[in-house]
Amino acid sequence: MKKLESNILNMALVLTVISVVSAGLLALVNKVTSEPIAEINEKTVSDGVKSVVIGDRDIEFNVAPAQEKNGYVFHRVTDASGNILGTAVEAVDPNGFGGNLKVMVGFSPEGEILGYQVLEHSETPGLGAQADAWFRQASGSEVKEQSALADVILGAPAKAGNHNIIGMNPGDDLMWVSKEGGEVDAITASTITSKAFLRSVNAAYKSLFGYSAADAVSGASTQAKKKK
Amino acid sequence: MNYFKTILNGIVKENPTFVLLLGMCPTLATTSSAANGMGMGIATMFVLICSNVFISLLKNLIPDGVRIPCYIVVIASFVTVLQMLMQAYVPDLYKTLGIFIPLIVVNCIILGRAEAFAAKNNVLASLCDGVGIGLGFTIALTLLGMIRELLGKGTFFGFEILPASTNMLVFVLAPGAFITLGLLIAIVNSIKNRKAN
Amino acid sequence: MEFFLIFISAIFVNNIVLSQFLGICPFLGVSKKISTAAGMGIAVTFVLTIAVIVTYALQTWVLDPLGLGFLQTIMFILVIAGLVQMLETVLKKVSPALYQALGIFLPLITTNCCILGVSILVANGTYNAQGMEPSLLVGVIYAFCTALGFALALIIFAGIREQLALVKIPKGMQGMSIALITAGLLALAFMGFSGVDQGIARVLGI
Repeated sequence: MKKLESNILNMALVLTVISVVSAGLLALVNKVTSEPIAEINEKTVSDGVKSVVIGDRDIEFNVAPAQEKNGYVFHRVTDASGNILGTAVEAVDPNGFGGNLKVMVGFSPEGEILGYQVLEHSETPGLGAQADAWFRQASGSEVKEQSALADVILGAPAKAGNHNIIGMNPGDDLMWVSKEGGEVDAITASTITSKAFLRSVNAAYKSLFGYSAADAVSGASTQAKKKK
Repeated sequence: MNYFKTILNGIVKENPTFVLLLGMCPTLATTSSAANGMGMGIATMFVLICSNVFISLLKNLIPDGVRIPCYIVVIASFVTVLQMLMQAYVPDLYKTLGIFIPLIVVNCIILGRAEAFAAKNNVLASLCDGVGIGLGFTIALTLLGMIRELLGKGTFFGFEILPASTNMLVFVLAPGAFITLGLLIAIVNSIKNRKAN
Repeated sequence: MEFFLIFISAIFVNNIVLSQFLGICPFLGVSKKISTAAGMGIAVTFVLTIAVIVTYALQTWVLDPLGLGFLQTIMFILVIAGLVQMLETVLKKVSPALYQALGIFLPLITTNCCILGVSILVANGTYNAQGMEPSLLVGVIYAFCTALGFALALIIFAGIREQLALVKIPKGMQGMSIALITAGLLALAFMGFSGVDQGIARVLGI
């Protein structure tokens, strides 16, 4: 077959046909994949709710349809007979190291943290990105001193202290970085990420129970910042 | 065995990363771990094979004057198909690679092969070229990812190998990407120079 | 004041080339001389700002209302290619002087992934807006600052490479290899800015 000539009619025709065919093909694929995509998104949420509220426990549970209030999303979890097991709250803090930090935190009816998950982040890999594991680790025992530069080049050293927030209650415990009088150790060399994380945990608690013990610290610091 | 030669050519002689030096953005950005690098390589290979085959099929129907826009439409369509398939079936990888999936559209390797190879050769040869160049790209990205992951996090495809005290975090971060690739290219160049002598 | 934060963050802290890895091809390709680097930088700033306005409008007023979000990639790349072509024609007619300065860079810009990348980031609202609600204005300012960051990185890099041309380099490392390692050191230097935006935010009380 001979190659088509480059006259206006041919060019316009071919480009139009190719565009229309591609658009049609894409619409088709979109239709086929939109269902699995929606399913996966739903499954991600329900898996998240399960992992932050139920964890490894082997019990039957139901999740009520999600409710939204002031930008927070609530998923209430009940057991088979209708008693509340806990609530998973999604909260976002815009001031992570690289932008938004979105977490889902599970609270027992008394306000204890049952579990958490980092849903979205743009933190530095290897530093702030550790948030997903850091705040549930048992505390280390080894203490090593090294400079901040060494942290960046060599990685963060193991450090003693408390950075396990599971089981804490933001209503009674001061969930803030220990450097500023709180009870939680920040991720080494990632104070900004840690603060953003704790701020969103406190905000999630507050949206559920109406107050949090860290109001005094983080609230005061926001006010102080505004005064300057 | 001409087709086999075409494939091998893409992997070794015309390796897109180490020899042609094309498609640097995804090469540097997505190789913070071996698995991510491999995922990106395979995703690019998919688009490359599809676009190579289709463009060589359509090469006589496309007038020269609108060649490039037509190629771009074909490539962009396959990228979008890939985007939707990944979202549906490998959502975690899709999330990790993020913006670099739609950016496969502007990866110079794909448009370059369409123009330099698929527009001049038959379907089967174009398919082999796509497989070869795609494999070359995937191997390069996986290798780069493996080195950066091992030096930076002490792991190999996620399995811990080196103790945490030997981790050099800088290799997972941006500067490590540039430096590792620079050194790998230097090694390839030295081997080429030695062969030439 | 948040705009100042975007400015600092987009240029220094999250530099598009050295920490986001977008636009590497022109960064490595057109950085042998400071003058060409500056021309490329200006051309990218110009095109990126306009492209973001057009693609944002396309996304908000055409693709989203019609439910055609899946056509984003294909529409954006076509619009950008068309836009670059149009700019070239218009510049040639309106300002031959400017065309002479930027003309040769324009065709290269279509396949510059930082244009498509930033357009997608702004249209999806997935960029670092420093706590502000993503909107057209914020997006355009972000894009403009990002492009300035691109120009800065490109010009600094070209300056280093001009010096590098006078130095004896081991044979295997000549060309792209030493350029990449230099870029790595530059990226390491730019990492020194990390956290600066947060510090400024605190000083300014945002």
